[in-house]
Amino acid sequence: MAAAAFEGVKVVEFAGMVSGPYCGKLLADMGADVIKVEEPPDGDPARKRGPFPDDEPHPERSGLFLYLNTNKRSLALDTAKPGGREALARLIDWADVLIDNHAPVTLDGLGLGWEMLHERNHGLFLTSITPYGRTGPRAACKGTDMTGYHAGGLGTLLPPRSTDVSRAPVKAGGYPTGYHAGLTAALATAAALFGRREGDGCLIDVSEQESILSLVRGFVAQTVHQRVTWSRVPDRPPAFGRMECSDGYVVSHLVEDHHWRGLVELMGNPDWASGEEWKDYAYRCGHLFEIGHKIDDWARRQKKEDFHHKGAARGFAVGSVYNAEEVLNYRQYRARDYFVEIEHPEAGTLRHAGWPYKMSASPPRIQRPAPLLGENSAEVLRDLLGYSDDDYRRLRRSGAVWKEGPA
Amino acid sequence: MTRRPRRRALPLEGVRVVDMTWVWAGPCACMFLAMLGGEVIKVESRDRLDFFRRYVIWSLADAAPTELSTDGSMMFLSANLNKLGVTLTLGRPEGKDLLKQLIAVSDVVVENMRPGAMPRMGLGYEDLRRVNPAIIMLSSSARGGSGPESRYAGYAAVNHAIGGAAHITGYPDGPPGYALGDVDLMNATTSAFAIVAALRYRDLTGEGQFIDYSQSEGVTSLIGEVLLEYQMTGRIPGRKGNSDELMAPHSVYPCWGVDRWLAIAVETDDEFAALCGLMEMPELATDPRFATAAARKRNEAALDETIAGWTRQQDRDYVANRLCTAGVAAAPSRDAQDLFRDPHLRARDVFVEVEHPEGGSHDVVGLPWKMSDCEPAIRRAPRLGEHNDYVFRDVLGLEPAEIERLRREGVIE
Repeated sequence: MAAAAFEGVKVVEFAGMVSGPYCGKLLADMGADVIKVEEPPDGDPARKRGPFPDDEPHPERSGLFLYLNTNKRSLALDTAKPGGREALARLIDWADVLIDNHAPVTLDGLGLGWEMLHERNHGLFLTSITPYGRTGPRAACKGTDMTGYHAGGLGTLLPPRSTDVSRAPVKAGGYPTGYHAGLTAALATAAALFGRREGDGCLIDVSEQESILSLVRGFVAQTVHQRVTWSRVPDRPPAFGRMECSDGYVVSHLVEDHHWRGLVELMGNPDWASGEEWKDYAYRCGHLFEIGHKIDDWARRQKKEDFHHKGAARGFAVGSVYNAEEVLNYRQYRARDYFVEIEHPEAGTLRHAGWPYKMSASPPRIQRPAPLLGENSAEVLRDLLGYSDDDYRRLRRSGAVWKEGPA
Repeated sequence: MTRRPRRRALPLEGVRVVDMTWVWAGPCACMFLAMLGGEVIKVESRDRLDFFRRYVIWSLADAAPTELSTDGSMMFLSANLNKLGVTLTLGRPEGKDLLKQLIAVSDVVVENMRPGAMPRMGLGYEDLRRVNPAIIMLSSSARGGSGPESRYAGYAAVNHAIGGAAHITGYPDGPPGYALGDVDLMNATTSAFAIVAALRYRDLTGEGQFIDYSQSEGVTSLIGEVLLEYQMTGRIPGRKGNSDELMAPHSVYPCWGVDRWLAIAVETDDEFAALCGLMEMPELATDPRFATAAARKRNEAALDETIAGWTRQQDRDYVANRLCTAGVAAAPSRDAQDLFRDPHLRARDVFVEVEHPEGGSHDVVGLPWKMSDCEPAIRRAPRLGEHNDYVFRDVLGLEPAEIERLRREGVIE
């Protein structure tokens, strides 16, 4: 009996940084056999990005790389060297899925564009992640995490409650576009695998811009029909959004009438919020601004965790703004065993974010940490693709294949 | 277990989903399954109407509605495309029985009530398993179904704060940002992924399963490196605006007009030279302050000032196109109107027009990917109880007289 949802699925990840690797991780953590193809000498560009232990850059110790590449094997392959392109082609022939987040010209230039791949391996799914998708007037334009976030319409909403419009809109922290595009690609790829018919693959064209746009679909629909343009500027009633406390911030969102009653009760039923009229949602929508400063004044006298837990006890949605340290110590996550401890030969033992889905029959799990660059070159070529010892040595000599890591 | 035939192109063809979710994250998860070809049946009741049916903040037919309709909310219509809608009173034993009959012939159940609510109604996973041993059930909640805070309420913005993402979003000298509905859509995508994975596992083994989904954890899983940064350096990562640890220029610059902004990111020296060329300041490319990526990062403030001095005189979209053509990553910070009119998105058929009996046609956003030879037809969201006849008669095989009786007695509303 299979132990994992994507057991038996063969994936080649020809991708770097965040989007393609996150897609590969999501599949690998559920049992797919993911071979990551990295270009020597540097490998995945994420290896050059922090965080690093004690801020000392080291290609095997990048936190970004370590998180995004669990459960994968690494083949270090230089397609410009003799035999390199052929090895990549043979690897893709082996695969069910190819995850590619290069510009399409990269594989085209190797004679391994979609048409050619489809002809060679009719069952292959090519999951292609690009800044703007593979068609349309901007298909060839470059993009980064930040440009994708703004192009997709989310930057325009941040930071919320901006009072100074001479300051630029911002992207969310981290690599939001890469993660969302990777997630989107994983859903599309998983669905394609589930619905696969005999010998019939397809091209899955994932646009980073559209991955972000998908997240703001409600605002777009509203804007188009109501001509209300959402932006980072307007103030919002304190019942929705950030409140400053004496020792940090909370975020709340009050929707139902009983949520509002819970807040009023927590504030000690002040006269200015206790009238009958405040029980009506429509009235609150129109008038909360009038008493917003009073709620804010009250909040400033609270400790954030008091507000958080007492608010929760009264049944309304409020939560502390947690930083990385607080998240790692968060009692709810610890109680749920959300974090996974992973030991890595170069980076030591670290606690990684886990998965938001606890699956009773086929839980995701860590079987191996992120690979060293080229760690699995030999086994991939010899065991997976059937290269003879001689052929393998020839590739090593030509510089097409690298092998690093423990001897 | 019966294997369902899959002859047509859509991947989830033949998969039936009972959608008991409301508001935003849950409905959008089921909507993805519906757009992927699943037959998604949204179960509603007048006693417990979806928030977006009750509070028609943004109506379809009228910008300033004098009468609110349960079928005309733009938000509801955006979160429930391609679904069928039935009404059932679950407080009545017969209503609950009908739901169980429906689940017995379905593959997936999705719900997002507070943890514990479904079991109390006799509709927990253990109960549902008895009527359908291979059922896949996903329960989505703010903080997950176990642990000391399992019953805490949460909406997108709160989950975003708890999950650690609000703290790192905003200007370095400003307060934390908070999210809007985007976090719900992210959790919808992740939930749909977990469900599809469970479907594949069932195909391999015949086994269904229970998925306990935490929306706060969904947020944290997208900032994995931020948690590692704290462990590796002892430093608590803060807010960084638009900046990048290696690239410069990497910011959002003001353009001609009111509140018009352009994001520009330069990775290589060649890209920088192209930017300098367009700015008609080619000498900057060889200026020792800016000639290498490391130098540009060191002198980022001066560089940003120079670039902003140029962009302020430029039309945003014109200069964005020139930069893209010259091989530089540049994008306007687009608002919803910009997106709706974007010729690129139009060329990719990102917006789909659907007809609605109340408000005429309206535009919605389709799936965020294109699968070759496999484009789903997008259908409008159901009116309340619109598909009662189809589901109770054709799916469950009830006689018309029986349906009529159930309707009269308020079991089917």
